[in-house]
Amino acid sequence: MSNIIEIKKISKIFKIKEKEKGLIGSLKSIIKPKYKIKKAVNNLSLTVEKGEIIAFIGPNGAGKSTTIKMLTGILCPTKGEAVVAGINPAKQRKKLAYKIGTVFGQKEQLWTHLTPYDNFKFFGAIYDLKNYEIEKRIKELNDTLELEEFINTPVRNLSLGQRIRCEIAASLIHKPEILFLDEPTIGLDPVVKENIRVLIKRMNKEFGTTIFLTSHDVGDIEKLCKRVVIINDGKVVLDDSMENLKYHYLNNKIIEVKMKEKVNLSDEDGITILKDKGYNLKLSIDVAKKSVADVIKLLNTDKIIDINISNEPLENIISNIYKGNKK
Amino acid sequence: MLTEVRSQIKVTMLSIKYAIMRELLNKVTFISNIIFMILNNASFLIQWLVLYSIKDNFGGYTFKQVILLWGMAAITYGFSHFFFKNAYHLSDTINTGRLDTFLVQPKSVYLQAITSDVTVSAIGDILYGYIMIFVTGFTIEKFLLFTFFGILGGISLTAFIIILGSLSFWFSRTDIIVDTGESLAVNFATYPDGIFKGIVKWILYIALPVGIVNYIPISIISKFNIKLLLLCSIYCILIVLLSIFIFKKGLKRYSSTNLMNARV
Amino acid sequence: MRKYLYIFKSKVMSNLQYVFDLAGGMIGYFLHIFVFVYLYRYLYMGEKDIINGYSLNQMIWYVIITELIWCILGGRKLCYKISKDVKDGNISYNINKPYSYIGYVFFEHLGDIFIKGIIFTIFGMIIGFLFIGSFPNHSILSIIVVIISCILAMFISILLIMIIGLFAFYIEDSNPFYWLYSKVILVLGTLLPIEYFPTVVQGILKYLPSYVVAYGPAKLFVSFSVNNTIKILVAQVIYLFISYLLCVLIYKKGVKKLNVNGG
Repeated sequence: MSNIIEIKKISKIFKIKEKEKGLIGSLKSIIKPKYKIKKAVNNLSLTVEKGEIIAFIGPNGAGKSTTIKMLTGILCPTKGEAVVAGINPAKQRKKLAYKIGTVFGQKEQLWTHLTPYDNFKFFGAIYDLKNYEIEKRIKELNDTLELEEFINTPVRNLSLGQRIRCEIAASLIHKPEILFLDEPTIGLDPVVKENIRVLIKRMNKEFGTTIFLTSHDVGDIEKLCKRVVIINDGKVVLDDSMENLKYHYLNNKIIEVKMKEKVNLSDEDGITILKDKGYNLKLSIDVAKKSVADVIKLLNTDKIIDINISNEPLENIISNIYKGNKK
Repeated sequence: MLTEVRSQIKVTMLSIKYAIMRELLNKVTFISNIIFMILNNASFLIQWLVLYSIKDNFGGYTFKQVILLWGMAAITYGFSHFFFKNAYHLSDTINTGRLDTFLVQPKSVYLQAITSDVTVSAIGDILYGYIMIFVTGFTIEKFLLFTFFGILGGISLTAFIIILGSLSFWFSRTDIIVDTGESLAVNFATYPDGIFKGIVKWILYIALPVGIVNYIPISIISKFNIKLLLLCSIYCILIVLLSIFIFKKGLKRYSSTNLMNARV
Repeated sequence: MRKYLYIFKSKVMSNLQYVFDLAGGMIGYFLHIFVFVYLYRYLYMGEKDIINGYSLNQMIWYVIITELIWCILGGRKLCYKISKDVKDGNISYNINKPYSYIGYVFFEHLGDIFIKGIIFTIFGMIIGFLFIGSFPNHSILSIIVVIISCILAMFISILLIMIIGLFAFYIEDSNPFYWLYSKVILVLGTLLPIEYFPTVVQGILKYLPSYVVAYGPAKLFVSFSVNNTIKILVAQVIYLFISYLLCVLIYKKGVKKLNVNGG
């Protein structure tokens, strides 16, 4: 398969003006500004194959947005180079624009007083589509993203979920090869979130669109992506398949038990007590050191009322990776 | 190249159409904004009526010429504010990172950033300008020259504002510079140049889009002069090119500071 | 009274930050004065020394004072705030609070413009002195009268603008009315004193708000007389009283209308 995104040792350095507090501080910063150098992205390399759905995640300030902005031609890298759909975004911004679509969850691109239909017409014109092409495309998007019921309602009267669907549709009007989604499900309720995920998946399947997704929502990542890239401090700290991530980092099992009588158990090698309320216990077990069976043996099996053994949630895994990287 | 220009024009026209549609959602406001702006401009007739009752010449201008000068200032201002409202908010657009939206689209960032919104009351300014032609005696020639210079001046004024607004690529808060520049241009454009002397006059003709945008056109309308007309056209082209140059220079820096400033 | 003082004080403090806006406003103010200095110099060139009872220096001082009051006022912002409060329905949240909306906005705005007022006044006096080289004759008592008259002019203007802002109860956009008001004040009293107008018109101008919010205080500053003082201060007090009553009336009617319609 061919690579649709190739990032070669890209860096982005910001000069940030430092301002002291208060009025005098503001005046000072005008006369003699102080700058702080911040490496938002630091020597980052990455390749993405055509048709992939990739999750690009990391804590706040890790450099996710900066990377996306360099890939979409909004920012120029300080060092290094990226090639997106065969184009260097820093050099051929307009040419690139025809091949990519962007949805920034926190920034609206639509005209709110117009209907989605009128908006699509506008975006169609931006990408030089002929009228019949636009009509045809609207029909396709309509089928995939299920816009029928509100396509003629002004955007400002739509719910947040409907708006996001329209945002996605608008960004797909020109059949982009890659879609950049920055926090697409932010602020949505669980049902709508699920809905959007299904649509994104379907889009990937039907149009073969490569999807580059950032999200803080673990559900988005778990349900959509086969590959996860985690970055922190501007560097890639993990690049793996979702399966591997779960497998390798699933050394931990969580056991919750409800007992008839009090048990005395203390931390030992391989067992961490997360919660101890006498009758109710919550343990975390490192299966590399202690097997689940061993741990259950430690408990008086006759006195167990209820037991629940589960995998460590992906959310914890990811936050452990973030933390581990900090150290 | 030609198709690119055509599609750019199509997009610009569509954004203006959509922006007007938005304003038309409330028709009473739409119309009252226009009518009150005409009244607003007309109120200054009183000031000049009083002044001309004392003296029949201000800086070499007759009463009719001063009224026409006001009309010219109104039409240039109106044209600029109607079609390029966002040029006046460029500083804000840059600082809040709203250029992002335009940067991912395959169209001119320069044009997208200054169009896509309209000021309704500016229609009142444009109409006021034309009313002043009728008040001071209508001729076809005057009408055509007035329209030509109105558009030319509107474009020059916009370019001047874009230059000031683009400074936001280098310094974060330049909205005061834009406001000051605008009030300088508008203030001087509504008074005859003959009352000013020395260095002020030089500033009006060189540093501000007032002399060449307002004073010279009025003199051309009174007495046609092809050389001066060419001068105005060349000035307009130069200032537009300069604004594009500065904007493009700044856009390269857009990456480095302001985006972070806006978020910190 | 304390709560209003607190509102006043907290606004003053937060405004210390707006040095930039202040600088911008000062440049704008200077520009206006600059243009008028040239305009009036041209007007008096080759004419009599006194036109309609004013010398050139008096005319320049006149405009410095009237423009000063207008620039400090910041009326556009006030009008915008009130009409926004009405449209967003914020005004109905204020009904249950233990203070009156009118009082709140009035004192909040005073706090907003307090420091600006002091700085602008000093600035205006400096500009005037630089252009003219002397101040009009005043005693301590007469200068206090002028200051009182200026403050009354501010109070009246704030109330009148609040009334215009409250029009938002009845019309979608009250901004056009603000323009109209500002032009009445500007053309019929700020740029030129009423003595410049034809005698018939003067009779009407004495009853317009421009007489009490622009002409009055400036007239007292450029040529002080006891006779004028009484006339102007009485007119100002009557105006203050009526505009306050109107403001409260429109607010009460408007809120009732809002409640009936369910906001």
